[in-house]
Amino acid sequence: MINSLRNSTFYTMIDVKAKINSFFIFNSSFGPREGDELQRILFYHPSQTSADAQKMQVGLCEAVVKFMSTFSSEPCEALQTQTKRYIFYQPEKGYWMVLVVRIPYTTKALSAIGESRGAADIINPSVMYDLLKSAYKMFRMFRGPFKNYPIEEIYTICDQFYTPYISSRNLSNDITDVIQGINYLPLDKNSFFKVLCFIDLLEVNYPHFKCISFIYNEQLIWNGLSTPDMLTLYQYLVQSLLPKQVEKEIQGGAVAAAQRHGRFIHPPEGIHSQADLQKLVKVHLMREDDKETKQYYLVVYRTMSATVCFTVDENVDLQFEMFRSLDAFIGPQLSAIASTISEQCTLHALHTAQLAASEHKFVYFNRLNLAFKTSPTLNKLHPSTAIKPEVLSIIASIHSDKQSLGNYGEIIIKTPDEYWITGKSSNEREFYVIIQEKNANLKEIADEVRRICEAQMKGIFFYPM
Amino acid sequence: MASTSKDVPIVTIEENPPDDLEPGACYDSILNPTDSFEEFASEMSSSLQERNISLAAINSTISEIQSEIGENSAQIKTTKSSDDLQNKDESISASTSNSNLIEQNGDDTDNEKDDYLQTPELVNKEKHVFILSSAGKPIYSRYGNEDKLAGLCGVIQALVSVVEEQNQDILRSITTKDCKAVFLVKGPLILVAVSKSNESETQLVLQLTYAFNQIVSVLTLTQLNRIFEQRRNYDLRRLLSGAERLIDHLLIFMEKDPAFLLGAVRCLPLPEKARENITSAIQSTCNKIRDLVFAIMLAGNQLITLVRMKKYTLHPSDIHLLFNLVRSSESFKTAESWTPICLPKFDSTGFLHGHVSYISEDCQACLLLLTVQRDAFFPLSQAKHTIAEKLRRSNCLVAINDALNRNEELPTTNPLKHIGIPEIRHFMYKCKSTAQLFTSDPISLDKLQDYRMRHKVGGDIMVKKIEKLSDIDYVRNYRRFCSSIHCTSTPAKLIFRSNSSDTILAWVTNGFELYVTFDPLMEKDQAIKAVDRLLKWIKKEEQRIFIMHAPTF
Repeated sequence: MINSLRNSTFYTMIDVKAKINSFFIFNSSFGPREGDELQRILFYHPSQTSADAQKMQVGLCEAVVKFMSTFSSEPCEALQTQTKRYIFYQPEKGYWMVLVVRIPYTTKALSAIGESRGAADIINPSVMYDLLKSAYKMFRMFRGPFKNYPIEEIYTICDQFYTPYISSRNLSNDITDVIQGINYLPLDKNSFFKVLCFIDLLEVNYPHFKCISFIYNEQLIWNGLSTPDMLTLYQYLVQSLLPKQVEKEIQGGAVAAAQRHGRFIHPPEGIHSQADLQKLVKVHLMREDDKETKQYYLVVYRTMSATVCFTVDENVDLQFEMFRSLDAFIGPQLSAIASTISEQCTLHALHTAQLAASEHKFVYFNRLNLAFKTSPTLNKLHPSTAIKPEVLSIIASIHSDKQSLGNYGEIIIKTPDEYWITGKSSNEREFYVIIQEKNANLKEIADEVRRICEAQMKGIFFYPM
Repeated sequence: MASTSKDVPIVTIEENPPDDLEPGACYDSILNPTDSFEEFASEMSSSLQERNISLAAINSTISEIQSEIGENSAQIKTTKSSDDLQNKDESISASTSNSNLIEQNGDDTDNEKDDYLQTPELVNKEKHVFILSSAGKPIYSRYGNEDKLAGLCGVIQALVSVVEEQNQDILRSITTKDCKAVFLVKGPLILVAVSKSNESETQLVLQLTYAFNQIVSVLTLTQLNRIFEQRRNYDLRRLLSGAERLIDHLLIFMEKDPAFLLGAVRCLPLPEKARENITSAIQSTCNKIRDLVFAIMLAGNQLITLVRMKKYTLHPSDIHLLFNLVRSSESFKTAESWTPICLPKFDSTGFLHGHVSYISEDCQACLLLLTVQRDAFFPLSQAKHTIAEKLRRSNCLVAINDALNRNEELPTTNPLKHIGIPEIRHFMYKCKSTAQLFTSDPISLDKLQDYRMRHKVGGDIMVKKIEKLSDIDYVRNYRRFCSSIHCTSTPAKLIFRSNSSDTILAWVTNGFELYVTFDPLMEKDQAIKAVDRLLKWIKKEEQRIFIMHAPTF
């Protein structure tokens, strides 16, 4: 059961990268005097942009930030011109990250030409803001905060990190970009208990190693990080590390014996000698019981479809022997657990296949544990199951305006092309249903949504019903 | 009928357009119902080059009328408008030297000017509006003294021109979490709104457009352009001495009256017979006056009747400017006035001449007679007195006063009580084909006064305690719904939102727009039934609450 790691379909796939006009990071205090403006620019993509053009863009952004500060104590978030949208993010005081995207001011002219072009062009600004935020969080996880670096180093550090980051980043403009959450794997009590016992036993035997996450395919089973870091690590695993591994496994043909027994996949070449320990990467993370962000070594181990992440305190004297013994301990145990989970998944897939008879799409999201669930894609080759960009954009705006629904609330929106979008909120939980129905009325839609909610979200209570 | 009562009216109405028209619709509209949202959208999607071109070449409706009437239009118009410029210039020349002095004194450093923005006069305001010339000279500031804002205006001008000149782009807006700054370049002017309200970007741009039109209404676009062609650095305040007050009032008016939100005109609810009598009184008196283009009677920001020259209609936004002019000018109450008025949508290149007067001391209805003839005061004054006399004899003044004072016995005074739907807290309805609206709580004169008093002191952001909502609060809540419905990229036809404080339904069809506030957590089928009854009631009362005929001279 090789699962594609991102449930995106090609229908909504738009070339977001082609839409990105530029991406840059600046800090005005780095070149305070006139003539030093170039020093303020820590990173600029595309790098072939002329120095004058870079200075001009950054200068405009500085002016905009300063202008808004006279009216609001909140940091500047966006600048809209006729053809572009500049999205601002200030992760640390004085450090500004700016993403410039080609989004026209109104799509009136576009939609007049024909829906096809206008529709595909919609990227919700909130998606772009999240993109910036995760670009920073990924940097902070692997490199720590910007302010830790002296001015002599920061240019190189940013270049080393962001140049490959940008070229590897994929955006598909589907629902997983609009609502960033974590796909949890539902397990029966016994299987879940097995996972917990395995983690406990391991941490007792190897006290230096702390398990921070347990993932099966791309679904999370167990987490040991604080909530904000959990999403960053999950995205790193699911969007970057694991797809490369899966690709390797597929290219390797039949599952090699070594893979059944498991191996270290972080560092990517594995750990085969004391020298390989030098390749271990340090990360800045906050574990569940930590009071602040600390530095740890990140170790990732994988058997079949199960992936386990550990942190090791940076002060521990690492010995190759430790890793070899760990490998011998985890290998057989993890593959046993992976087979149990695999059986569970097959059962579960059968169960959802029955439910999936309904063609309506739904999305569930819990802000507290970031749990995210969507209706199963019936058939990946069947493009009609994807969500239309306009509908996606409406969901994005409901999702980003939490206040409107309050603790308990419901919104139903009908579009001109007969889509009914329902959003429900109950404390920190959100539930969306998309129904395309020509001759329906409000009451019928509400009844249908209630049926889907009861079938899919047993035990989760949404009011008003 | 059976199907409508079966809890599916929303669909039935939509899928099978009924043979009879939706409430308020008629075949002949007194207003030009161009959707301001669409107009806005097409205007805003133009590129920098297109914008510069569109400013040239505008046809003059006024000279068209004049040539039809058979006068030498060109001559009259040009002499008149240049007269006007000179007159105004002279009358202000005394104070010019004074303002020059201030300008010299006010040449402070940038820092001090930034500090000025933090003074109690300016800090913590919900919405700022700044107007400046494209050279960066301050023209108007909603709060504070624009002389002290020269530094800020310089920054705004620089931002706008950097984006235009270096990026070949147009600056539209800047946002933070709690604040929006919206920019509009119109001809030789730059208009900026900085707002912490819940109004959308589109709604703010529309308000700036209105502010621009208010200036045009005082000067005409032709004159405005010419001034800045001749002297780019001109201090426009010299010519706008009276207009600041008009803009002040207009901004308040726009924040509180849903007419602006919907691009529609509110009518004074009157018995069908009374309105007919008023209209025919005007028609019979004025049909001999050949230069008369429009005769408009209004009261308390509501239209009573409009009689027009065949072929010509008025746009709601021009009527709004007339409402604003009448409401902001106390002097009309004391004497008959003769004033040049430019209606930007009708003809932005020239002035109409208006005879403006209140019908009588005991009736707050105001009559505007607009003509292309610049010396028609006496015939029009004569006509007004004849009309007033006819209205008094036919008891129309009583009917107007009853409506204005919201006599308890009228069904339209408290419509919700009259319909008997207790779940509905508030509603507003716009008939799209006639661009007219009706709300459950027509804003009365004293309420307006109230709001203005409150606003004079403040305009500050206040954390409001939850008491009983006023109609202004309901309208505030509708803003977001209105902008989702009219969103250019992802419009909606229907929105039903229910939370613990209320339930709001926004619904747009080909014929109407309807916004209703219900009790919280309202059941859908109940809401549907209530809306169905509401629409039937509006249909039943349509002759009273809307103007259903489009009379001409």
